[in-house]
Amino acid sequence: MTDGSAGARPGAASEGVARIAAAGLSCPAPAGPASRVLLGHGSGGKLSAALLRERFLPRFANDILSALGDAAIVDVPGSQVAVSTDTFVVSPLEFPGGNIGHLAVHGTVNDLAMMGASPLCLAAGFILEEGLPFDVLDRVLDAMADASAAAGVPVVTGDTKVVERGKADGMFINTTGIGRLEEQFRPAPDRARPGDAVIISGPIGRHGIAIMAAREDLRFEVELESDTANLVPLVRLLHEACGDSVHCLRDPTRGGVASALNEIAAASGVGVELEEEALPVPVPVRAACEVLGLDPLYVANEGILVAIVDPELALEAVAVLRDHPGGAGAARIGFVSGDRPGLVSLRTGLGSRRVVDMLPGDQLPRIC
Amino acid sequence: MCLGIPGKVTEVYPNEGLAMGMVDFGGVRREVCLAYVADEVDAGDYVVVHVGFAISRVDEEEARRTFQLLQELGQTDELDWMREMAEQSLAGMDDAADAREGESAGGTA
Amino acid sequence: MKYLSEYRDPQLARTLVDRILATASRPRVLMEVCGGQTHTIVRQGLQELLRDAVEMIHGPGCPVCVTPLEQIDRALHLAARPEIIFTSFGDMLRVPGSDSDLFQVRAAGGDVRVVYSPLDALAIARRNPDREVVFFAVGFETTAPANAMAVWQARELGVGNFSVLVSHVTVPPAIEAILDSPDNRVEGFLAAGHVCTVMGWREYEPLAARYGVPIVVTGFEPVDILEGIYMAVRQLEEGRAEVENQYARSVRREGNEPAQELVSQVFRLVDRAWRGVGEIPASGLGLREEFTAFDAERKFELQDIRATEPEDCMAGAVLRGRIKPIECPAFGSACTPESPLGAPMVSSEGACAAYYNYARFQLKPTGDPA
Repeated sequence: MTDGSAGARPGAASEGVARIAAAGLSCPAPAGPASRVLLGHGSGGKLSAALLRERFLPRFANDILSALGDAAIVDVPGSQVAVSTDTFVVSPLEFPGGNIGHLAVHGTVNDLAMMGASPLCLAAGFILEEGLPFDVLDRVLDAMADASAAAGVPVVTGDTKVVERGKADGMFINTTGIGRLEEQFRPAPDRARPGDAVIISGPIGRHGIAIMAAREDLRFEVELESDTANLVPLVRLLHEACGDSVHCLRDPTRGGVASALNEIAAASGVGVELEEEALPVPVPVRAACEVLGLDPLYVANEGILVAIVDPELALEAVAVLRDHPGGAGAARIGFVSGDRPGLVSLRTGLGSRRVVDMLPGDQLPRIC
Repeated sequence: MCLGIPGKVTEVYPNEGLAMGMVDFGGVRREVCLAYVADEVDAGDYVVVHVGFAISRVDEEEARRTFQLLQELGQTDELDWMREMAEQSLAGMDDAADAREGESAGGTA
Repeated sequence: MKYLSEYRDPQLARTLVDRILATASRPRVLMEVCGGQTHTIVRQGLQELLRDAVEMIHGPGCPVCVTPLEQIDRALHLAARPEIIFTSFGDMLRVPGSDSDLFQVRAAGGDVRVVYSPLDALAIARRNPDREVVFFAVGFETTAPANAMAVWQARELGVGNFSVLVSHVTVPPAIEAILDSPDNRVEGFLAAGHVCTVMGWREYEPLAARYGVPIVVTGFEPVDILEGIYMAVRQLEEGRAEVENQYARSVRREGNEPAQELVSQVFRLVDRAWRGVGEIPASGLGLREEFTAFDAERKFELQDIRATEPEDCMAGAVLRGRIKPIECPAFGSACTPESPLGAPMVSSEGACAAYYNYARFQLKPTGDPA
């Protein structure tokens, strides 16, 4: 077997094991499939995707859900709305550059924007742990109020519950958002086409590294802040400059840029080819990744977007992003290819190529 | 497990009988145990750090020397290439000169 | 980053590749015995650049991968005990034991914590005097000084609730086992730069002499590895079989003597089984008698935990460099990082993981359409 193709055919796994057994060889005993939720199931990589596919989707099967966009497009008599929900479980609650409240507003507003929607309002549900100090709660709520006002997206309804000490790690927040759609601006994960440019709006890896540094256990310091931000202004600029030539938008949160691009490649049935030298990685992110043995492509972001744009308008797209303070560092990092659908690859500085797979299970638990 | 990263020592201080230090890795800072390089390391030196321990002081002179050798290797390649190009054009000129001689001598070869 | 970025310079790398291609008079077979080097080679596509001039065979350079199944099972047993906080380097968490791994033990309620340094594990022990803290001390000689210091400090400071589960292996016996093998194809070795930073290269001199193979102590960045390969190929072409040092900015012939000193005070040489390779005499480290109180195997009565390793194993063939990961029938189908059959697919330094994550499809460059 020399072509190295990963067996995606049904039965490939048992065929492989049978072949080994037939050759009189055996492998060290495999750990059986997990019978419980593992931290890796929340990392945004393959385990997460498998959990969704095997346990959730079959039970809630409907066309809207199975499109698996950042927001769902729902028909309302006379129009369509986008709906998105996200739950925030970050630890620690407060970190350089923000707190869970910023993430809770920006995260859902951004998911609506990624589908081309103008966010209208938010609903917010809180699970508070018994013993949470009020000053922490106040700082989180202040952050949400500020972020919501700045974005022009009010929190119109909500709910609060309290659970016993030890059951909620400070607090968990869920936000659900509704947005208005326009007929002519419909970026979607399945719209990438061979030849399209892959553009990123800013430097990668800041949020994930800032969170790791804020954790007690790894004990390192770095001058980095989370990049949590409202992406609606950047999306509006792209809309104005490029209109429907913006084929896909994605905010690369958990799982990083690599996972976001893998999802687009799979949904659109295309390949993606990246240039390592073109990736904007800030020096402190690179350094932290070296020390900890991580790859910046898998580190979470909260304030950048990936745009897949018609090649005719690629330069224009990068230019309008760079004009905005939130898009400083925007760059074209690769292109969409018709070869090897579903595969994301990267050309190294040395001129060789390698695969950029989806994160297998876990890099860091609970970073957003 | 082999992960050893070079960083710059910014502070040295004892802690519970062990020589410790703060090391800066391109903007990331971490406390590192300097016990195994204590005699040869001061603030400003570079060390290779593995799982929170400095295992060597980076020999900057050695690094400079071998790096220079490497770069010369690259330049030598360029010199070789230039020499080849020069030789080829000289050979071309000789052939052209021979051809002109042949013509003027009136041969058909 | 200083002393790192310069060794990734594409210009220098290309120069070295050209030199190697021009110098090798026939295809040469070399082996690196270090997971970190394996990962750089695969991740940077160095084999692709070297074409047929040099074949890099990946040796058993992954201490996680060669930790015996029995030792993993013992770790899992300890991690599941309610009174124990089990601490470990991150890459041990997904390594499969006989029927579970540390992630699943954590999911079932075990207190499993990742640490960056063994001193962090010691600190956890001091902060939790009513719990037992065990640190999974896995590694080559590079990590032994760090683990030795943690045990030493534990004794100095009287930290009675701290112990280590040891799985240390040493490199030279592995190289010898490879060279003694009747169907060995390896003509020269890259020795692990950080192992040699600690140990020096004296012990490789008799190997080079006895077996007539060049051994080049090499670093980890692409320029380091290409330079090491160039030096080895040049030796082969010139008929030399010496130990040379490419990684001179960190390695000296005598190594780090204070580190060696403490390691020999805390550890002694023992026979060790290498998962997938078999038992290699005097190839491991075990705690000395004076430190029995810190030996988790003695403290927690783990003798009854036994596991049978299969006689022949694909992981072993990969570890010995007999086959490339991509040649294992289970690669990418039955065996993936999410459902690994063996440690080399899981450990960050395993050859199978490197291939799966970076090279599992044969990639051809496509033109940039714009």
